[in-house]
Amino acid sequence: MNRAHVFLGSLLLFLSIPLHAEQAIVVRLATVYDKPSSVSEQITRIVAGSEVEIFERQGGWKQIYSEQKSVIGWVRSYQVRTVYSESVPEIKTEPDSRGFLSGLAAFSRRASSFFSTSDSSRSTRTATIGIRGLSEEEIKEAKPNLVELEKMQQFASSLARMTDFIREGKLIALEIAHFKLKAK
Amino acid sequence: MKAISNILVLVACCLALAWPVSSPAFSLNDLKKLTDNIRKISAEVSVEEEIQMGANLIAGLLGAAPLVANPALQRYVNDVGYWVASQSSRKDLPWHFGVIDSAGINAFAAPGGYIVMTMGLFNLLENEAQLSGVLAHEISHVVMKHHLKALQKTMKREFWANIGTQLVVDNEKDRKRLSKLVNAGVQLYAIGLDRSLEYDADLKGVVLAARAGYDPYALLDVLATIDSINPEQETLTVMLKTHPPVADRLSQLANAMDGKLDKYASGQSNSGRFFEIAGKINP
Repeated sequence: MNRAHVFLGSLLLFLSIPLHAEQAIVVRLATVYDKPSSVSEQITRIVAGSEVEIFERQGGWKQIYSEQKSVIGWVRSYQVRTVYSESVPEIKTEPDSRGFLSGLAAFSRRASSFFSTSDSSRSTRTATIGIRGLSEEEIKEAKPNLVELEKMQQFASSLARMTDFIREGKLIALEIAHFKLKAK
Repeated sequence: MKAISNILVLVACCLALAWPVSSPAFSLNDLKKLTDNIRKISAEVSVEEEIQMGANLIAGLLGAAPLVANPALQRYVNDVGYWVASQSSRKDLPWHFGVIDSAGINAFAAPGGYIVMTMGLFNLLENEAQLSGVLAHEISHVVMKHHLKALQKTMKREFWANIGTQLVVDNEKDRKRLSKLVNAGVQLYAIGLDRSLEYDADLKGVVLAARAGYDPYALLDVLATIDSINPEQETLTVMLKTHPPVADRLSQLANAMDGKLDKYASGQSNSGRFFEIAGKINP
């Protein structure tokens, strides 16, 4: 194989991988499928903590590329999370471990954009990492706020408002039966 | 329920008989009031009473944290919630939704269709389908009357603790007394429901979201997001104390769904209009 072939091969591989890939981490043991459907072919499994790249999202699925396994395929959306470049989270390798993305690091991008507000007087809104939330004491000691209750009642939706909401959101009601939890 | 009511009346009569004869505060009239009150409290709660109870409870939570001052956000959350609730067996309830100004990560449901979520939780969401999943979980608690049933138990205990004193000498209307007991029930939010009810609400919630045309896996995405937050964070304290471990919820849910909702995974996410609202809050 000469250099031209190697270059051509690399170029083809490069072109087959979309440019806008996001760095991500597998957070739960994930089965990689050929298509965004659990009835499609199972390609491999990737353990929690593995680094992957996300190419595309489709419904509850994400298309990923694993360099380690040299595969491209689809996993359940909740099994991978994007890693934002500003701060790389710590990785624990045991599968399904809880809170393995250390702190809120993974959300630093969201935190910086979402929690900053032009209205600096609203201190609870500017809360970032580690600021106290609604605590047990605050809930227990609260005095009823009837003014806020009335406000809340004024925002209630209605059938009339639904028409535009459903159309704009392209929402269609479906008939689906409830099912039960499986016994352990 | 009738049997319990009869037992309560019987015990009240025994207590009345055991009451010191010299007590001037007690009469046969008081005994009648007492037994009437017991019958009322132990009977089924009407939908109107349930709604009133929920309004009282949610007013308590709004006392801890007011609504986020953003009408567009509040209306949007109400639209999503109303649409999802329309897919439930209690679509005729007057559903109310609100986002409260707290960095904590949590959501609360009250009887009668009152639901609030914190701004901290809203900020973690990425699209309308995820919002629908969170609201669907809370809507399911209301549909299955989880809080109402827990409160009825609490009310009975409260009532029982005050028997022979407050109820006998208090001549105020039953409504006011009920309301007092309900306000005490706000504490339920600090204690949380039985864990099995949380799993059940997750499972009913994903179906409701799918019925509403959303991707049902979105709730799992939210749980995965919460699961990736350090559990030591104070913003999560109440939620983790009052709910089963998020990893367990994810496993139970994924296991129970078992591909049954896969064909709906291509449901709407509507991230466009979600970010239109979220972007205006946090430009």
